[in-house]
Amino acid sequence: MSDLAIPTLQTEAKRERSAIGSLRVVQTGCILAIALVIVSPLFMLLIASLKDDRFQILADMGSFRAFWAPNPTLSNFAEVSNFSGELAFGRYLLNSLFILASTVGAGLIVNSMAGFVLAWGSLRGRALILSLVIALYVIPQESIIMPLVIMVSRAGMTDTFAVQIVPWVASPLYIFLFYQFFAQLPKELFEAAEMDGASVFRIYRSIFLPLSLPALATVSILMGIETWNQYLWPILVTQTDYARPITVGIATFFGQDSIYWDRAMAASVLMMIPILVLYLAFQRWFVSSFIGSAVKG
Amino acid sequence: MGNRLLSFLMASVALGGMAEAKTVIHVMHQGDPGWVSTYGEVAKRFEAANPDVDIELIYAPHDAYNEKFSAAVMSKQLPDVMELDAPFLANYVWSGYLQPIRPLIDEDVIEDMTESNIAQGTYPVDKELYAVGLTDSSVVLYGNRKYLEAIGARIPKGVDDAWTREEFENYLEKLSKVEGVKWPIDTFRGYGIKTEWITYAYGPILQSAGCDLIDRKTWKSVGTLDSDPCVDALTMMQKWVKNGWVVPQSSGTNQFFAEGHPAALAFGGHWFYAEAAASMKDDTVVMPLPKFGAEGASPNGTWIWGITTASEHPDVAGKFVSFMLKDKAFRDYAKKDSAYPGLKSFAAESPLYADGGAMAVAFEQASKTAVARPPHPAYPIITSAFMGAVDEIFNGGDVKAALTAAAEKIDEDIEENDGYPPFDEQQ
Repeated sequence: MSDLAIPTLQTEAKRERSAIGSLRVVQTGCILAIALVIVSPLFMLLIASLKDDRFQILADMGSFRAFWAPNPTLSNFAEVSNFSGELAFGRYLLNSLFILASTVGAGLIVNSMAGFVLAWGSLRGRALILSLVIALYVIPQESIIMPLVIMVSRAGMTDTFAVQIVPWVASPLYIFLFYQFFAQLPKELFEAAEMDGASVFRIYRSIFLPLSLPALATVSILMGIETWNQYLWPILVTQTDYARPITVGIATFFGQDSIYWDRAMAASVLMMIPILVLYLAFQRWFVSSFIGSAVKG
Repeated sequence: MGNRLLSFLMASVALGGMAEAKTVIHVMHQGDPGWVSTYGEVAKRFEAANPDVDIELIYAPHDAYNEKFSAAVMSKQLPDVMELDAPFLANYVWSGYLQPIRPLIDEDVIEDMTESNIAQGTYPVDKELYAVGLTDSSVVLYGNRKYLEAIGARIPKGVDDAWTREEFENYLEKLSKVEGVKWPIDTFRGYGIKTEWITYAYGPILQSAGCDLIDRKTWKSVGTLDSDPCVDALTMMQKWVKNGWVVPQSSGTNQFFAEGHPAALAFGGHWFYAEAAASMKDDTVVMPLPKFGAEGASPNGTWIWGITTASEHPDVAGKFVSFMLKDKAFRDYAKKDSAYPGLKSFAAESPLYADGGAMAVAFEQASKTAVARPPHPAYPIITSAFMGAVDEIFNGGDVKAALTAAAEKIDEDIEENDGYPPFDEQQ
């Protein structure tokens, strides 16, 4: 009886191992397929940026030649790296980087402070303010864009860096995100610091802010992507090269009658780099923040 | 020393004052990198010839130009000179944004304009000219010589000789069976419904079939856009799509010359010639648009230059526009870009469009079959309603119902605006 039972158990274990192995193969296959779908357009973009014939790029699209550059060249990158002239793409890229750094930097300070005060401050009517902040979140940016244009125009802010930074520093979404994060930290932390005589600002700066790296990373990435991809707003409020970002610069390649795929691809590759760096720098905290949010419900 | 310093300071202030006294002309434009550079160079040459004038160029991308213009209107920052898409001219003039341009532009430039160019810049109410351009536009039928020879198609020699509807549909059917042809025709659905393409290119099919987007006397769309000839014309186009004869929207705009040349014909703009000829060389055949009824019809109109009512120096603005349109380097770039001539002297300089030129048939269409898009202030609604209807029809919707809904939408807008006086008085 036992002699018979042992081989059966072994067979079952074998079967189980084989099933797990098959599952892993399927899982890996699925992951690879998803990765291929995500990576192939980026790879195509990179390859197209190395071709200097826009007609050829267009003709190659839709076939496997889109993934192969027989005579790769960096000439497109050279053309979109100039800092002067009618289309100073190098300048546009620097402008975008400056706007990104300023908006995200100021945004982290302003939104985290607001979130902290709403969570722990002694401000009267905090609940009402929080409700208003959440209510503001549902108003789409497009619906307020024209009144905002009139406001900044009357304030003499058009064609400046400030007009692309100031209106987007404070955001209901990020205030709420910080509020939610701060509110979940233990009450004892706040009370102990308060008993030690720390001011509210000191508690925020020295205790709560250092603990909020996942929230800071999440807001940095989300705000960074949002700022980096701004298109309509800079079109409406910039007039010259002075403060024009790269998104508007790239749109130049999509003309009325023709599209300059070669330079558009090279400029797009350059445009992708900073946001990719930002993501890679913060991804550990970004992912943990999302997982944390999901677990905490 | 003190006196010298005082004199220096006074001279500096005076020079500063002179610099500030320069007349600044703001010029709003769109265009690809080549055009942006060209405008910049023209501006520099104009400033060199007119040291008391500063030209400030304001660029807006093509696909966001209307938004930029709306923002300029709302913030009361209209430029002096603006580039505008011709069919929107009536709306801009009716809204009071543009001023008559004839007294501001050099007489020789005005006399040099082709009839089609004058038509695209004229406001139908007062018959005044409000905009001028170096160029115009058209759509032709491109064909792949190898495929046309394979089916023994007749190649028209000129506009009068264009294919009839029966011939055209017969060729589409034959082409669908030719080896290597995936789609008999690319009607450039890939341009999508956010551009002017559908109204610009497909509108003439309706006009050739004997109807229109709107009645141009009564300015009513119901009874015209949903009339039998229009329903018939769009049912015909829907059939092409259902038969799988038309390149789908998702396949982009390069199937005529993509690897293997999957599209045999292309219903494309004049600008498409450069791309097609660069890839297919002598295999590119340029033909007039087919006649879908008794008469042929082709589109016209492009981006042209107007002077706004907000300009404090319209004379200088006019001087700049005249200078630009005559500028040799500006014209040379336009020629290189296969631009469609809107000035007679420019046509004479453009071998591509001259008799015997590869695109001669396109220029012939300007004088024989060109029909401007409806010059009415409701044009923005007319075009968006029509584009929506065509999109619905191409996606299998009921033709009559879609056209009726579009026509009603157009008429509602006109009624809501009290007929856009004085257009309501025109009969």
